[in-house]
Amino acid sequence: MSFELFSNLVGAFFTLCIFSFLYKDNPFYQAAEQMLVGISLGYGLVYTYERVFVPYVYQTIVIKHEFVLIIPALLGMLYLLRFSRKLGWLSRYPIAFSMMGVGMGVPMGIHAAILVQMRQAMVPIETLNLFLIFIGTIAVLLYFFFSKAHTGVYGKFVNVGKWYMMIGFGASFGLTVMARISLLIGRIQFLVNDVFQMIIK
Amino acid sequence: MQKLDRRWIYIVVALAIIIPLMIPYDSDNVTTPPTENLYQMIDSFAGREDRAILMSFYHDAATMPELFPMEVAILRHAFERNVKVFTLTWMPAGAPIIEYAINTVKEEFPDIQSGVDYCNFGYKPQPFALVLGMGDNIANTMNTDAEGRKLENLPIMRGINNYSEMNLVVEFSGSVAGATWITYARPKYGLNVAVGVTAVMAADLYPYLQSGQLVGMLSGLKGAAEYEKLVDVFAAYRDPARDYSITHDEDGNRILPGRPFGREILEDESTRKLIRITTQTEAEFTLDQFAAFTAKHPEHIPLLNRLGEVREEKMVIDLDQVTPEIREEMGEALYQELYRLTGDTLYKFKVARIGMNAQSVAHIMIIVFIILGNIGYFIQKARAAKN
Repeated sequence: MSFELFSNLVGAFFTLCIFSFLYKDNPFYQAAEQMLVGISLGYGLVYTYERVFVPYVYQTIVIKHEFVLIIPALLGMLYLLRFSRKLGWLSRYPIAFSMMGVGMGVPMGIHAAILVQMRQAMVPIETLNLFLIFIGTIAVLLYFFFSKAHTGVYGKFVNVGKWYMMIGFGASFGLTVMARISLLIGRIQFLVNDVFQMIIK
Repeated sequence: MQKLDRRWIYIVVALAIIIPLMIPYDSDNVTTPPTENLYQMIDSFAGREDRAILMSFYHDAATMPELFPMEVAILRHAFERNVKVFTLTWMPAGAPIIEYAINTVKEEFPDIQSGVDYCNFGYKPQPFALVLGMGDNIANTMNTDAEGRKLENLPIMRGINNYSEMNLVVEFSGSVAGATWITYARPKYGLNVAVGVTAVMAADLYPYLQSGQLVGMLSGLKGAAEYEKLVDVFAAYRDPARDYSITHDEDGNRILPGRPFGREILEDESTRKLIRITTQTEAEFTLDQFAAFTAKHPEHIPLLNRLGEVREEKMVIDLDQVTPEIREEMGEALYQELYRLTGDTLYKFKVARIGMNAQSVAHIMIIVFIILGNIGYFIQKARAAKN
């Protein structure tokens, strides 16, 4: 038995263990779930050490002698002090430092997510699509304007906004179903092609 | 219906997925403008020394069923059409996925070289600083590739300085991470941004598509299937009459394999053969094409004539008839050329399309269940009112 087939068989076994939950909760499912948590944590730890700590901290400071990096390394290590009751307050400093990025993102985010979107909502209504977008934008914005009661003609117009949102939720639901089915397809393609076909060969 | 054990529904959905996967059938995936626009944008960089794309793999193994086929399809497009590719990830767990994707495609392109045709930056921390830094100078900002080689020494960097040349980024993620490029790089440097996202996230990103902030979007398995189809029809296309061993024309211009995007080609009847996902073994030629094809291989004319069979004014060569002895006699290059002309696609390059077959059947089943569930609900309600 090749190593590839063996590793695929292990993968197939745990896939089936997880799927067995669809029938009912059972020890195989629970064992697979616990192992997934443990292995993910262990893998993440080793991987972060290999791919982050060694190349960006150890090699740069110890081998390349870029001592200036000691400052951000120490700042990052302050996060670990969250576990200390006495020194936990020090962990706020790296958080405060990282807020700098958030601050920088505010004006740029307003530009990209609000101003450009607003500009695109103000183009001349030349096609049916643009007309629908125009009506939808106004109706949905007014739906969330709560200083006026949703009654009469105004209420009916605002109701159009609700329908727009319903259609949006429906589209999101359809796409979510598609995504979840795709994950199932991925697993079954693995079982059919990488395990079943390999065993036959 | 309301009392139906949900496990029956699981079984039906499972069968609806397993059967189409085990017995693939030919189906068409109609391509949509967001996918076509991205394809055309990447294709416009074909063969250009001063243009490149950046693929950002911002995901781990959990979203691979949807995102991996997209990544493979775009890499295949780039390798077929000679587009320079850079890859990176902001997530440590994304690094092995980049290597897996490149190796999956590279197996079929023995001439493609790291540092020449593509460059993997690997995992890089500090996304904001690097996104902004690359706008000024890529080599200075990224410094080394994943193998530790200095970027400024790599042949791929010839003609590539910043976002003016590496003019398109495609972000693959199961989140709205693509918005980082839209927020930081697009307004300041005019970088073109496209995304490949899981279907769940697609609805969140449509507004950016409508506003033109995204040049294209691949959404879920459907987007991947559409892109696979476009690569088969255009980038992987080979004209039987053309000699692809000639790489430059009389004026010294590079001749690229494949053909440019054209809507009329997509709607043409002859394209149907190229988009089949079932196994194809027959290479079809018009008589003129066959004459031109044999003229390229004068030493094999008797062999090709022996293998060819005239059917409905077309010459057909069935590769199932090619025994190992005949294959040895014709040589691997000619065999591979004939294989290309069958229109057959390797499994790894049609994963999403096969998946979409299952997806279609599962969707129909789910719609039927929703309708039946609603009918059952109203019948039950009517009965309760009657009682």
